[in-house]
Amino acid sequence: MAGILDGIRVFDLTIAAVGPWASKLLGEMGADVIKIEAPEGELSHVIPPPIKGTAVLYISANFNKRHIVLDLKQEGDRATALKIIEKSDVFIQNMRPGAVERLGLGYDVVSQVNPRIVYVASSAYGRTGPMAKEAGIDPNLQALCGWCSITGQPGGQGEMFRHLAHLDISTSTMIVEAVLQALLARERTGKGQKIEIEMLSAALSLQSTRLAEYFATNQQPQPMGSAVPTTVPHQAFLCEDKKYIAVGVVSEDQWPRFCRAVKLEGLCADPRFATNPKRVENRAALIPLLEERFLTKPAAWWVIRLTKEALPNSRIGDFETLRYHPQVIQNEQIVSIDTPHWGTLAVDGVPWKFDKTPAGPVRPGGLKGEHTEEVLRELGIIE
Amino acid sequence: MSSALTGFTVIDLTQGLCGPFASMRLGDAGAEIIKIEPLTGDSARTMGPPFIGDESAVFLSLNRNKKSLALDIRKPEGQDIVRRLAAKADVALEDFGPGEAEKLSLGYADLRQVNPKLVYCAISAFGEEGPLRNLPGAELVIQAMADYTNSLGRIGEPPVRLGTDVASMNTGVFASQAVTAALFHRMRKGEGQRVSVSMLGTLLHMRGIMWTAMSEPDDWYGFHLDHYTKPPDQGYKTKDGRVYFGLRRGDSEDWDRLLITLGMTEQLNDPRFADFGRNATSIGRYAAEVKPIWEEAFKEMTNEEVIKLIHEFNGDAVSFLDYPSLVTHPQVQELKVIHEIDHPTAGTFKTVGPVWRFADTPTKTHSPPPTFGQHTEEILFSLGVTKREVLRLKEARVIG
Repeated sequence: MAGILDGIRVFDLTIAAVGPWASKLLGEMGADVIKIEAPEGELSHVIPPPIKGTAVLYISANFNKRHIVLDLKQEGDRATALKIIEKSDVFIQNMRPGAVERLGLGYDVVSQVNPRIVYVASSAYGRTGPMAKEAGIDPNLQALCGWCSITGQPGGQGEMFRHLAHLDISTSTMIVEAVLQALLARERTGKGQKIEIEMLSAALSLQSTRLAEYFATNQQPQPMGSAVPTTVPHQAFLCEDKKYIAVGVVSEDQWPRFCRAVKLEGLCADPRFATNPKRVENRAALIPLLEERFLTKPAAWWVIRLTKEALPNSRIGDFETLRYHPQVIQNEQIVSIDTPHWGTLAVDGVPWKFDKTPAGPVRPGGLKGEHTEEVLRELGIIE
Repeated sequence: MSSALTGFTVIDLTQGLCGPFASMRLGDAGAEIIKIEPLTGDSARTMGPPFIGDESAVFLSLNRNKKSLALDIRKPEGQDIVRRLAAKADVALEDFGPGEAEKLSLGYADLRQVNPKLVYCAISAFGEEGPLRNLPGAELVIQAMADYTNSLGRIGEPPVRLGTDVASMNTGVFASQAVTAALFHRMRKGEGQRVSVSMLGTLLHMRGIMWTAMSEPDDWYGFHLDHYTKPPDQGYKTKDGRVYFGLRRGDSEDWDRLLITLGMTEQLNDPRFADFGRNATSIGRYAAEVKPIWEEAFKEMTNEEVIKLIHEFNGDAVSFLDYPSLVTHPQVQELKVIHEIDHPTAGTFKTVGPVWRFADTPTKTHSPPPTFGQHTEEILFSLGVTKREVLRLKEARVIG
């Protein structure tokens, strides 16, 4: 069966993580993604760690693509690029504002060549404003976007998410969302258009719920460890075997079941804890009771009790447990793929299931320029 | 100009954070969203305090551009109303969990019968297959299972979650993508379909770099790997705050001058600072261990002074912001992404608006999040239900 974006070609002039991950997702939906790199290669090649000499970031952000090399500073290669653009549906770039224009591939040029193209200009901070010219990588955005200030141990000053790519990839997903909307609009209008998006706005959007707390109170939300201000109980508890279990009571029907699961039925009738807003107000009274209770048995016991009552719960997962977990395997959330250059890799599964137009399978991309000849021949650009 | 999804109607049966965030994004893009709430209301309406008037701040942040229909879908008459709405809609969105919609006669097979071209999107917590398929989810539970808490906090100390609701919010974005892609397909090929996303699948996808890194790295080094064992990071302490910076584009003369300016002459010959500090800052190999050296140099400097200096040497530098300083930051103001919405009972509130800027299909002008059941009658009338019938349904507690 064909993928949902079968027949859609993406001119992928992206670097590092934000842009490449967006075009990778389009590739996983079936688009023909052609990643264009300069002869010296894009900047992710030098970011450690490597696998058999290739940067993991480069491998991971470029599945389901074909890789070609063009030197866009040379007139001949630029002409080749325009020929590919003519036959493309989507153009994505995430260079610093002004850089792509200097290469002669700004929207005015590209839309002249192909008025049906959906053109994405993605940046770190936006095209105007005091920071417009600055490059932004994930940790810079983490610092700036405020999310460190609400993350960390209680009483601390917050901390970064040491997985330095979440805000990158989160931006990528919002780019894909916009590209799909614009492709759909093109079906109706017959015209492409330009889309602008930046990491900073995407990071704010991701924090909509937490910023809402601030807007409502004018008080900085504090780091709360594993807990959250607006739902109680919704945190991790230490168990007898020194392991933690994460639990959440996120709808009112779950509260009586929770009290039953932890065998504290008395709490259920206690008016201080009758509703979530009450439990939030009386958090200081409730949580010590629960902490004490969870300490009396090992985590495995609480998993059984909570699961039996259909309550959200989990121990803390890691790569070794996840990659072999039947839940993860059966849903193909982490999959194993064979690659020509890097052996067998554990990789992220596709994030959606479509019953008529299946996404994936995840295919390895390639080395820099690996498909140059194949692509140029197929597009009739070379003999 | 119309928006990209103008003319499409979404029947939204979801509650909480994830599904409503998805439908809000579809609404921002122009779709009409009919939010079906149980007679007890969307669970997000009781997430809080904080409340603004009677509305939870969290709820308000996820439900603009929607109409609210208060309906008991556990009653056959309620289910019938959903099917009548689905017959005229383009998209149905649900988060009941695998198999649950079928029990309500609202599964894809049921709704396809009344509307073969329907796009049906199911959101689950852990995925629709597997031993945990029937377990409900919660933000922390998914973050914990998906290895996220292992990138925060300190080994041996209690777990720390990302304050941001990433499992819910990022899944909402994937749901919005899946729906839009399926609508695109329907436009090209004329067929509807069922699509699904899960919160666990989302977070495991977004952490894919880690899985690949751990497959068989050449060495156990690089931030995808060694962040697991590093201490908490909040950048570099200065006289009046904290900064994050990187220096990757200097030349050696610049680099020497920078170190001399900062009084770091000892580092001129320190191999950890070689190659313009590539390994001594930001994501570099020695960044964590040489942090105290930088902090000593920044001790008498303000954030502003450090940032200015790093910029002079072609580096990137930013302050760590909290929410008050974020929302007043000139760059955030420039982006105009924080909007104000007038709500009939809560008054004017601030919220984060759409993030995409489309040249030709602008996002929709906001209508305020609905009060509970605000549009129940209007929606029923649009189905041809009579006033008398509405009264009867109300008495029978089918509608709120």
